Amino acid sequence: MSQIELDIRLVPPREKHPAIFRTFDALSPGQAFTLINDHDPAPLRHQFNATRTDQFEWSYLESGPVVWRVSIGKRG
Amino acid sequence: MLALSTEVAPRRSLEDLDRGCRARGLDGLEVVIAADGDADSVFVRARSSGARVVALQTARIDAASAPAIARAAADLGVPVSVSPAAVDPDSLAHIAGAFARAGARLLLGCHTNLDEALELVLAVRAIGTPAALGLAWELHPSSAADLSEASALLLATRELLGVVRLHGGGPEQRDQDGYGIGPLFVELALSGFAGPIVLCPSSPEMVTRWTQWLGSRGSSGCGHAVSTREVELDVRGVEPRHRLETIMGAYRMLVPGATLHLTVDHDPVCMYYTLEATEPERSFSFQVVEHGPEIWRAEVTKR
Repeated sequence: MSQIELDIRLVPPREKHPAIFRTFDALSPGQAFTLINDHDPAPLRHQFNATRTDQFEWSYLESGPVVWRVSIGKRG
Repeated sequence: MLALSTEVAPRRSLEDLDRGCRARGLDGLEVVIAADGDADSVFVRARSSGARVVALQTARIDAASAPAIARAAADLGVPVSVSPAAVDPDSLAHIAGAFARAGARLLLGCHTNLDEALELVLAVRAIGTPAALGLAWELHPSSAADLSEASALLLATRELLGVVRLHGGGPEQRDQDGYGIGPLFVELALSGFAGPIVLCPSSPEMVTRWTQWLGSRGSSGCGHAVSTREVELDVRGVEPRHRLETIMGAYRMLVPGATLHLTVDHDPVCMYYTLEATEPERSFSFQVVEHGPEIWRAEVTKR
């Protein structure tokens, strides 16, 4: 599979987090995807910490001011 | 990659549109060659403006105009899309040849209709110049029918798909709510699609709204205090990127014992986790009092 980019900017608010978790859950261990958003997805990170504790890697590739890119990986 | 079609404001200069794109965080422009336009002058405009052009769209193409359009596309390093209705089927092979020689790619527009898509896939395969011919998906995300066939279409066209032209987004984004664009984007991402997603107005009547949208970056909060103990905050009209600061700002203004009545258009569970992570332990209570599917209400009380 080539690189996975999930651009969430066009997705309506109530579908955003379900779409992100669906993408994450579809990853194989060791795989990552790039999340693209128009704001810092800090609340999402808190949700990951609470619901996918110790299962993910989170690193900012770009931190605004207009676009945020975060690599979210599934731990092997 | 998200891009904007020049259809959204046909009279604006490319410099101006590209500035609007940057302010909105979009990655570039799809430049439309009008029915009475010519590829050479569009190429000159694109180059001299310095705008980030990621795709071309042409209203028409025939054997005579194909070499110039293919050359412009190759020089800009971008694909060109066209509606198959604007192409004479008998000259498609000839046109594809011109694109193959120039090292460019022509994408035939395809609506979310599986029969139409399979017919186009066969036509493209029959010509046998895979590098020079592909498909552009004309997606209407405010149509339930469009989104129900989306998975099958993606599967059928995946290898040929060069561009997704999304008729909506921007100021029309709210009209798409509830049609399942979220799951579609997940599938698009998991399929490894990395081409441009071009935002276009869903109809000519929408152009004014798009032009205004491009010129504004504002958003409006609409919180107000009923009393110092009960604060109403409805963030549905606030752009998602301003919501966290709006909600946290309102929460921090609460006096101890006061309650924030929050109305949102998504599950507010992420706000609970955010408060839990950022506020002192046991300093608040959080109760969801209405659970969707369209509106959620939560009551946050500061202790």
